[in-house]
Amino acid sequence: MPNMREIRERIASIQQILKITNAMYLMSSSKLKKARKALDSTEPYFYKLQETIESVLEHTPHTRQLYFDRRSDIPEEKRKKGYIVITADKGLCGSYNHNILKHTEQTLAAAPDIDNCHLFVMGQVGRMYFQRKARNSGAASVDSEFLYTTQNPTIYRAKEIAELVIDKFEKHELDEVYLLYTDMINSNLQEPRTLRLLPFERRHFGKAPDGTMKKLPKASFVPSPEKVMDYLIPNYAKGIIYGAMVEAFCCEQQSRMTAMDAATNSAKDMIKDLSLLYNRARQAAITQEITEVCGGAASLEE
Amino acid sequence: MAKTLHLEIIATDRVFFKGDVEHLVITAIDGLLGILPGHEPLVTSLPTGELKYMVDGEWHYAAISEGFIQVMPDKAVILADSCELPEEIDIKRAEEARERAEEMMRQKQSIREYYETQAALNRAMNRLKISQKHFK
Repeated sequence: MPNMREIRERIASIQQILKITNAMYLMSSSKLKKARKALDSTEPYFYKLQETIESVLEHTPHTRQLYFDRRSDIPEEKRKKGYIVITADKGLCGSYNHNILKHTEQTLAAAPDIDNCHLFVMGQVGRMYFQRKARNSGAASVDSEFLYTTQNPTIYRAKEIAELVIDKFEKHELDEVYLLYTDMINSNLQEPRTLRLLPFERRHFGKAPDGTMKKLPKASFVPSPEKVMDYLIPNYAKGIIYGAMVEAFCCEQQSRMTAMDAATNSAKDMIKDLSLLYNRARQAAITQEITEVCGGAASLEE
Repeated sequence: MAKTLHLEIIATDRVFFKGDVEHLVITAIDGLLGILPGHEPLVTSLPTGELKYMVDGEWHYAAISEGFIQVMPDKAVILADSCELPEEIDIKRAEEARERAEEMMRQKQSIREYYETQAALNRAMNRLKISQKHFK
């Protein structure tokens, strides 16, 4: 029979943890509400942006534009690839971090030369993970000055990030830029996803659903198509990054909420089991005492 | 020809306006640009500035920060970082932002930081200007 005091202490400590997980559950559920609201109010912008850029590009005369330049003269193994990875700042959110880190690892493993891979990690957890790995040779390098939090995404943060990667792309420090984030399919289903940010591919745009090229009148661009594209593409990148940030933040809160809810429930189950055990132990102790008293009295009578 | 064009103004945080307007005036890179229904297809970028549109013969004003516009003969779409009505502008906040940006401009900065603060200053000045002009 386990010791009664031990069980009591165990129950007390579980109760403490239960309080914490419950508080975290409540906090993440209110944060989730906020993040959901942000997601809902950005969605129109996000979709309209994609739609408009598509229709703008349909009307655009073919330009030799920097952001469309695929730099096909550089062989595959020499291409410098940048990955923006969005992870959480904190742990305790179920498999959220694990999934996106695993997804990144798989993407990196598929890259022909790991030394040409550069990681731009948002969020403390991912940064620590990849920095630790980067100490060993044969791992992708992590930009240590890329310090952005994933909490409460703002358009200005997205803008800074977009400017940074576009700047690197222009300077030929990067030839390809990818964005890795967690996409929320519905509230129970999340999926890590890779999105190619730069260079832009025209085949994404300008095709009707049946695959034929649309014939449309050319729109006029003020002051010139190149000037407008110079502005439009960074803006598009910014919008995409912001959308991904909002999406990822929402996913993080969702998975933290689910994880903390599960933790709270299992703590409750454990307390229930332990109380049963405790009561049994107490009953056993009482029975034993009675038996002892009875035995003592009986021996006295004789 | 239709007398109105369908205008959509979408900011990153909300749908600012959706409806039919008779006349639209935007601040483009090289000056004011008036758009009437039946305008030729046009795409241009918008710097931080003022925007006005006419609904039922009445002008409505708004402060807009960086975006772009796509005009088609019967519709126009504006996508911007932010868009506010004059009465929504928080003068105190804009004033603070202006002071902060001015202070930053006095410091030695890298070129990128310089452009960022300049943009912040522009936004603050634009908000103040529009709210003083249309909302007293």
